[in-house]
Parts: sequence; C-alpha cells; structure tokens
Amino acid sequence: MIFAEPWLLLAFLVLPLLWWLLRASPPAPRTQSFPALRLLADLEATAESPERTPPWLMALRILALACLILGLANPILNPRRGMAGAGPLLIVLDNGWAAAGDWPDRAATARAAIQAADRSDRPVALLMTAAEIDGRMPAILGPMAARDALARLAAVEPQAWAPDRAADTRALDGWRHAASSVLFIDDGITAPHDEAAFRAALARVGSVTDARALGTAALLQAPEERDGALLIRLAAVPQPVARHFAVLAQGSTGNTLNRIALDLPAGQAEVSAPLGLPTMLANSVTKLLMAGAPSVGGTLLLDRQWRHRIVGLASTAGTNADAPLVGPLFYLNRALGPDVDIRRGGLMDLLSQPLSVLILSDRPLTSPDEVAAVTRFVRQGGLLIRFGGPMTGETADTLLPVHLLRQDRSLGGALSWNKPEPLAPFPATSPFAGLPIPKDVSVSRQLLADPASLTGVNVWATLADGTPLVSSAPMGQGRIVLFHVTADADWSSLPLSGLFPDMLDRLIHLASGTGDGDPKARLAPYSIMNGFGEMNAPSAAASPIEADQLATTQPSPRTPPGLYGTAGDRHALNLGPSLPAPTSAGPVPGSTPGGLSGRLAERDLGPMLTALAIALLILDLLASLLLRGALRWHRKANVTLALVLGLSLVAAYPAHSAETVPQAALQTSLGYVVTGNSSVDRLSRDGLASLSDFVSSRSAAVLGPPVGVVPGRDDLSLYPLLYWPILPGGAAPTGASTAALNQFMENGGIILIDTEGSDVGAPGSGSGLQPGAAQALRQAVAGLDIPPLTPLTSRHVLAHSFYLLRDFPGRYDGAPIWVTQTPEASNDGVSPIIIGANDWAAAWDMNQDGSFPYSTMPGSDQQRLYAYRFGMNLVMYALTGTYKGDQVHVPAILERLGQ
Amino acid sequence: MALSSPKPLAALKAEALGQTLPPLLLAAERVATTVAQGVHGRRRTGRGDSFWQYRPFAEGDGADRIDWRQSGRSDRLFVRETEWEAAQTAYLWVADGAAMRWHSADAAPKRDRAVLLALALASLLLRGGEYVRLLGAAAHPASGRAALPAIAGLLDQTEMREQPLPPRLAVPRHAHVILIGDFLEPLDSVQAAVTGFAALPVTGHILQVLDPAEADLPFRGRVRFQGLGNRQAGGSILVPKVETIRAEYQKRLQAQIAGLGAIAGAAGWKASLHRTDHAPNTALLALYEALANR
Repeated sequence: MIFAEPWLLLAFLVLPLLWWLLRASPPAPRTQSFPALRLLADLEATAESPERTPPWLMALRILALACLILGLANPILNPRRGMAGAGPLLIVLDNGWAAAGDWPDRAATARAAIQAADRSDRPVALLMTAAEIDGRMPAILGPMAARDALARLAAVEPQAWAPDRAADTRALDGWRHAASSVLFIDDGITAPHDEAAFRAALARVGSVTDARALGTAALLQAPEERDGALLIRLAAVPQPVARHFAVLAQGSTGNTLNRIALDLPAGQAEVSAPLGLPTMLANSVTKLLMAGAPSVGGTLLLDRQWRHRIVGLASTAGTNADAPLVGPLFYLNRALGPDVDIRRGGLMDLLSQPLSVLILSDRPLTSPDEVAAVTRFVRQGGLLIRFGGPMTGETADTLLPVHLLRQDRSLGGALSWNKPEPLAPFPATSPFAGLPIPKDVSVSRQLLADPASLTGVNVWATLADGTPLVSSAPMGQGRIVLFHVTADADWSSLPLSGLFPDMLDRLIHLASGTGDGDPKARLAPYSIMNGFGEMNAPSAAASPIEADQLATTQPSPRTPPGLYGTAGDRHALNLGPSLPAPTSAGPVPGSTPGGLSGRLAERDLGPMLTALAIALLILDLLASLLLRGALRWHRKANVTLALVLGLSLVAAYPAHSAETVPQAALQTSLGYVVTGNSSVDRLSRDGLASLSDFVSSRSAAVLGPPVGVVPGRDDLSLYPLLYWPILPGGAAPTGASTAALNQFMENGGIILIDTEGSDVGAPGSGSGLQPGAAQALRQAVAGLDIPPLTPLTSRHVLAHSFYLLRDFPGRYDGAPIWVTQTPEASNDGVSPIIIGANDWAAAWDMNQDGSFPYSTMPGSDQQRLYAYRFGMNLVMYALTGTYKGDQVHVPAILERLGQ
Repeated sequence: MALSSPKPLAALKAEALGQTLPPLLLAAERVATTVAQGVHGRRRTGRGDSFWQYRPFAEGDGADRIDWRQSGRSDRLFVRETEWEAAQTAYLWVADGAAMRWHSADAAPKRDRAVLLALALASLLLRGGEYVRLLGAAAHPASGRAALPAIAGLLDQTEMREQPLPPRLAVPRHAHVILIGDFLEPLDSVQAAVTGFAALPVTGHILQVLDPAEADLPFRGRVRFQGLGNRQAGGSILVPKVETIRAEYQKRLQAQIAGLGAIAGAAGWKASLHRTDHAPNTALLALYEALANR
C-alpha cells in the first residue's frame, strides 16, 4: 500500500491539539423551557459544572478526523509499481506447457508491467521462452515501444512443449543493454535441459524480478496397465498442502464416461487411480482430461495401444475342453492371463458382441453361417487364432492360412524312429522375434501344411526341421493365425512352457494394430494439440514420425503432441509420458521474488476512507444534537432510526436474517441420503435435480431442488421420496438413522435403494460393476423393517402410475427391482421400499447443455427415456400412492395395455 | 341555538368522563340567592315540583290553582302549594397562559387537562340540576345538560384567556367557586385572590394541576431553563447540573403546595393536587367527593 499524497499525513500532528481543545471546552447546554422557573431562581450556585465532552464522543471525532486525513492522503492498495532501473525492461515470459493453467494471470502480469514501463517511458523487450509453433527458436523481440510490446504480447500463446532453455540462454547472452531490469514470469518448473544455465544467464542480465506462480501445473503421465485395468497417473510439483484433481475420461464424441478423483497428499509428487470402467467402456475412452483450466499437460490422448482386447474363446459343445490340465481351453485361459478380457460362449454368441481376438481350439468351421460370420469378423479387422487338432485335419476348411495335408505327422512316437522336434529360432519378421525359446519345448505331433500353399504365407515359427508351427495370412483388414499343434499338452509341450503365454501376448497385441504396420512407417501428423490441449489442424512445421520412434519422441514444434497416422490408424504422441515428473526450479539467483499480480487490481482506498469520515461526522452531529436536546429522543424516532439501521444491516448481510426453515417445507422436494462420498452425493443430487426438472416439465407436480439428508439428523417427514445409494465400503448405519428411516417408512415415505451396479454374476448389464454390492446392501438395511419383497412387474402400480412401463432401466438394465409383496393396509398398499441396482441417478443426470455425462449400458436413447419415465412413475407413486391402482381405472388401463 | 349546534369535542370528552359518576349536587348550607329553580328545597312555599302543603282557597286565587282531587273529599276548596326549590350556582374558573399550555415530553398540556376537568365537573353539576357559570364570562349559559357545549365554547373566548390568576369579580353570596390552575405564582397573589372571594362569602375549591416535569424536575446535566409567558418572560437560568438541585427544587415545590393548602384552609375552602400524567378520573372523583352534598 502506498500513499498518493503522503505529506497530508502531517495533519496527524493536529490531532493531539484537537484532543486538548475538545477536552477543555464543555459541550453547549441544552435549552429547556420551564414554567416553574421561579422555584429555580437562586439554586444555580449549588453545583460546580463537571460537564465535559463524553470520552466516546471525543474518540468518535478523533477517529473521523483520522479517517479524513488518511482518506485525503489517498492510500492505494496493490499499486502497480514500475520496475527499478532506467534502461529497457526485458520481460522473460515462460510460455511452455506449464504456463497454460494460469495463462491469463501470466499475461495480465506481463501486461501490467508493460503498462508501468509505459508510464515511465521505458522501452520494453520480450522473450518468450518456448519455441514458436512454426519452429522458430526463442529470441528477444525489441527493445520497442510499450504499445508495440502490448500488441506482441496479445499474440503470445502457451505452447505445447517445454521452454527451450538452451536457446533462451543464447538469446539472453546476446542482450547488450545497460541498466536494464528483467521481469521473469516464471513457470517454476525445471525444464528438461539447461535450466540452471538459463537461470544463471538471467541473473547476469540485470536486476531480476522473479514472478513465480505456485507451481500448479500438473502432468498426466503415461497410464499403466495393472491387473487388466488402466491406472491413471498424475504428477505435479510437491506442495505442502493436499490437492484434489479430477480427471475426466472422455469418449470419441467428447462424452464423459467417468470422472476420476485424484487426491494428491501434501508433499507427494505423484498419484494414481484406476480408470474404473468396464473393459467395453474403457475401450471407448479416447482422451483423459484434467478438470479445471485446460492445458496440454492435463490432456492425454489414448490410442489403440491402450485398448483392452476382448478375447473370445469359443467353447466346443460336447467335449471336455474345459477340464483342468486336460482341456485345451484350460491352457488358453491360464496363458491369456488377467490382462485380457476373456469371453466364453458359443461361436455365434461371441461374434454378436465386439471382439478383438477370436480363438478357436480344434474347432472346424463347417456350417456356412459360421463361416460367413467368422469371415466377416476377420475382414473387419479381427484376429482369428486357431489351434490344430485331430478334427481340424480331417475337415476341409477355408479359414486357414495354409492348405493342410490330410495326414498329421507324429514325431517320437512308439512306432517312430525320430524324436520330438524342438523349435527353431523365430525369424526376424515374426512377431515372436526375440522371445527366448526354452530348451524343453518339443513338438511330437503337428499338422502339416501343403508346401505348395506356403507361398505368400507368413510363417512365424518353425520347428527345427523347417516345418511351420505357426503360420499366418492376412484377410481383409484382419488376420488368421494357425498354430499347427493343439492348445493342450497332447501334441506338444508348448502349452506347458512359459513361451506359450508370451506368444499369445504378442499375438493379441497384433490385434490392436500397434505392431501391425511397418515399424519404420512414417506417421504423418493428423491433428495436433496447442498449449491448452485443444486439437487443431497440423501446423506447417509438424513433420512425420517413424512409428517406432513415437514412444521416444520429445514434443517440439517439429513433433507437436497430438495424433499421428491416418484417420483409421491413429497413434498418439502425448506430452506427459515424454517429460520427467515436474520438479520445482529454484528462483533465479539474486532475484527479487514477485508474484502473479494480474488479478489484483489497483485499489484506491481514499474515497472509501473519506466517505467513512463523513459518515462518522454525521454520526457525531446526531450525537451532539441529541446531547443538546435539539433532537428529541422520541420513541417514534427511535423506531425509525432502528428500522433504518436494521434495514441497512439486513441489506448488508442478507444471509444472516434467514432463519432455518427447511427448504423442503416450502416446496416439495426429493431427498437423497448423504453417503459422505462426495462424488456419489453429487451424482445423487444432480440426477435427482434432472429428474425433478423432468417431472416439473411433464406433469402438474412442481418439484424443488433435491435436498441431501442425513437420517437421524434431518427431519425426513418433509420428503415424499428418499433416494439412497448404497455403496460397498460405506459406514454401517447408526441406530438413530435406522430408527429414522423406519419411522419414515412407517409414516408413508418411500425409500429407493440403489446399489448402482451389482456383483459379478448378478443379472443385468450392471453386473460386476459394483463388487460387494450385495454385502453392502445387507449391511445397510440390516435394521430396517422390510416386509417380504417380490420382483417388480409390469402389473405393479409403479408400472402405470404415469407412463405404462414394462421394464425399469437406469444406467444399467435388467437387474430385478424389489418391492413389497402384499399390499399392506397400514400404508395404503404403497410399497415403502424399492430396491434396485440400475444406477438411476447416473441415468437421470444431465448436463446444463442437455448432454448426458454417463452413458447407458447396454445403451440406447430408448433406455435413457425409459429411465426418466421410471423416475416419473416413481415420483407419481410417491405423491399419489396407489391412486392409479384403484379399481375404477382398471378397464381404461387394461384397454390401453391391450393396445 | 345551543341545542342544534354540534357539541364541541371537549364537551363530549368531558361528558364521557362525567358518565362514570352520578349527578353532582353541591353541598350547600345556604344557597345563593338567585331566582334559578333548582333542587335545593328552601322549606317554604314557592316555585318547585315537590308538594309542600294544601291550604284553603282564598279570594284572589286563580280557579286553575284549585286541587280538585283534594277539594272533592270535603266541601271546601283547597289549593296545592309546592316547596320553593332553588338551584346552587357554581362558578368555574380555569387558568390560562403560556405556562398552562406548556407540557413535557410525555404529558398533555396542563390547560387541556384543566379544561377537561372543568367541563366534566360542569357536566356533573348540570345533570344534578345546578347552575354553572364561568367566572368572568360575558354571557351566562342556560341550565340543563344542553348548556355544556356553550360552556365549552365560552372557555375559549378571549376574555377568559391569558389569566394566570382568577379575576376579582363579584359573585352572588353563598355561591361555589372552583378554581383550576397550576398556581405556581407567588403565594401572596394567590392569597389576595382567594381572600377576596372568601370575604363575600363564597365557598370554593382550588385544584392545582401540575405537569410531571414540574413535579419531578427529571432533567439531567447542563441545562438552560427559560421562563414562559408573562412571568419572568425571557428570563433564563443556567443550571450546570440539574441532578444536584433536584432535591432542593422539590422542597420548594412542596412548600408552594403546602402554602396553597393553607390559603384554602384559611378561607374555609379545600385544595387538591393533580398531575397531568395521572388519570383525570382520580382528580374528578376527588372534586366530586369534596363538593358533593352528603
């Protein structure tokens, strides 16, 4: 804070004089007319005057004058001080990726400095530390007039790569202006190279003000695959306080599939959390985006490398293919491991859902339907892996890479001279190249390929004698791979070895297409990201990258982060994985610390203080008049004054006067039980809010915003319907809350319990998405008086209380919904409890713009619509009870049901 | 006509106040010798309503005066004679002046209260059949309850205003005089006024009406007191601290009140005190008790 007119502060010297004057002179007497004056006539000498100005009045006057003096001295808060020095001002502005988060503040800081320099007529030079998007190295612009510098600054944007400290150092070393001062707007993060040299060079230039941000930049690092799930990793400069991040998993259309909360404890640099989506949904995630200020560091593009492959294992009817240690599927299951999502079932069933890989173990494709379906699957890019066997050799089959001889070959049998054959090293062109071959792997029986058909076929593995073990041929966009042995240990010891899972792993990665093309293929930039993580058309400087170089490429103007390849085959180059975890760079040696002051506007305190002084003087006037009796202390005046003061106080603090009338008492509102898990509670609130809007717009019921309640603490009697999400790991309900819920149900309230997904193996599309749901449900409702339950059918009132419904989906569909079995006379036949697992809140939740943050599963617009309709029926059921179940409506309803 | 003109508001208020008490008949040892007919029997024949005696018809009596019912019982003619009934006359006087119109914050002006009490008393007297006159008024109101508005009107007339002390006027002997005012004048002048009446002889009553501020002196701190009206007009007294002189002032006021009582007692009159922050009923009741014919 500075004073614009500091000499006025000398007036404070007058205050003691004023104090003395006020003390010395008594206040003027009040004048009072009085009829009985005669009786007072000679009483005046009886008392000495002790009257002085009351101390509080003196304090008031002194305070008023002090305010007046201060106000006239015109103090200014957050003044924009010009930099020291007389020479040109050099502004070094970090515009690497780490500056994107608080870019407006940085730009405002630079702008303020330029304006201050303008006031003192200093020339300004600019150095943007990151390379330009067209590939130009950082260089100092200017010195130039401040106006030109402002125009230049307006065009600066944060770039999607780290500052080029080597080039910056060179530019600084070339700066030849005496008496210059430097404003360094610092991203506070150590660049990959030459950070220390750069800071030293900066210190040599002149007096440096190091305006540092708090180091809020965070970097999404390459995700990890762990136990078949994607683990999101986020790195940030450690801070002494805990921070909370949220990462949105977005699909190809920008729809948010999940929101992952990441809590970074104080002092930690990295935090990770699972993606938390089932494989099918996880595969449709194309982008991870940190919520908050957009930046390229908080954006991670996911290409097909990160997709989980869904592997279909076709079971063979009638055989014991699954038997442990005997059946081929047992070996395949073990070899595929937990990283892949294995689907089992009949061939046609498997092909009806999205698959990456289809594995057939000694299963001839005979029927034309099957052949057509598998052919279509392969041509559309699927990978078909087949294993040989006695049946494969006997039937003619077109979906094989080679033509097989009718006879299989036995090696090392009882009637044979030769021994079981070992494997030859894998050829370099094979996807198995480089895998070590255990000594003990031998093949005793194999299917033989017709040597004439081997031309144009990739043989990826051979036996020592050169006969093919694994052959492969492309077909359409897909590929067929044949193992010439069985998947069990009958024909070879391969399935028993450690090589087998590695080979399958390599093969399955083929399905993603990463190893598909030529590793030396040049991938042209397809779409690149700017510093804010927005996708743009590639710049002129962006050049192609060789496929195998993608993982090691440092983002730069030549290789900006973004997508490379073609529309059908896109490869992501991300900023996060190529950079080390961000660490804090120390301040420039010998610099003056500064801050980003862009948002703190200069504030003139003078007028405020002067106004305060005037108000105090008015108060003093009123008080003096009161003391002298000129102003009567009438009751009416009292009331008026109190009213005026009271109203102004009320106007100043409107919130204070609001007494706690529950909002739900004024307007019908839906309630939800607060679980303490903030994301679940937010979802409950948003979902119910969307449903309330839906109900309000479609029916005569007008619902207020939903209210979170804690049973046992809040009054539940105000809510017709309580939504209660029950999650595994939640705290067991207390006795008070159970008692409150019991009373709520007894008094006619309805509780909708939603486990938001169910255990593995439970019916419905939400199966497996909430492991432990049944246990949690059991724990939560343990003390509740729940009457016998029955599944909800379309005959129940709930199915026709507003819309006629046959099923009741939420985000998931198919899970049974339980209501009370027999209409009870006590509650007018209304079921006080409804238990389901369809995650209705997520289905109801709608963004401001009308989009839905949570996609439905299996997913259709119809499902969303029915979810809303179920919600509407539910609200109507809660509000009107069994009104629609009355006998008088039965004929009409039957008639409509029949249509 | 007094009957047709609307009653002034003061008269209505006073009547309402007087409704709480029965009609007032003045206690009169000797009734003022006026010709007004009233309720005070004179124990001799004359005009009146009450039967006094029958006497034989004499020559010169009008035939219409013969009481035929009584005459029919015998052969002689009788004339019915009534008792002479005369009314007592009460003279009211209400002080006025700037001091009487003064009031403190929470009280009404003393003059208003004094007028109200005077009119209420007049109302009671009129209902009792007595005559009410205003001391010093130019016109004399009629008897009967209809006279009340006229009395109220007369109180506002200029010759009745600006009189801090009652004028020395001739009133009939044995009449009643009721003086209402603040009587903060020097006791000498009050005594001169009262003894003038008492010498006639006239019986009377003094009602002193005081403002609560005059009685208590509730002011605090440094106050400049200014006089009112023609007593010490323009004079002022600066009191540095009113609290310190309060006790002394009240002592003086008590002396004034006691002096007033002594003046009344010497004349055979009565005196009473009324504060304007008290209910007027109490003062009216006290007046009634003092004046009633019991």
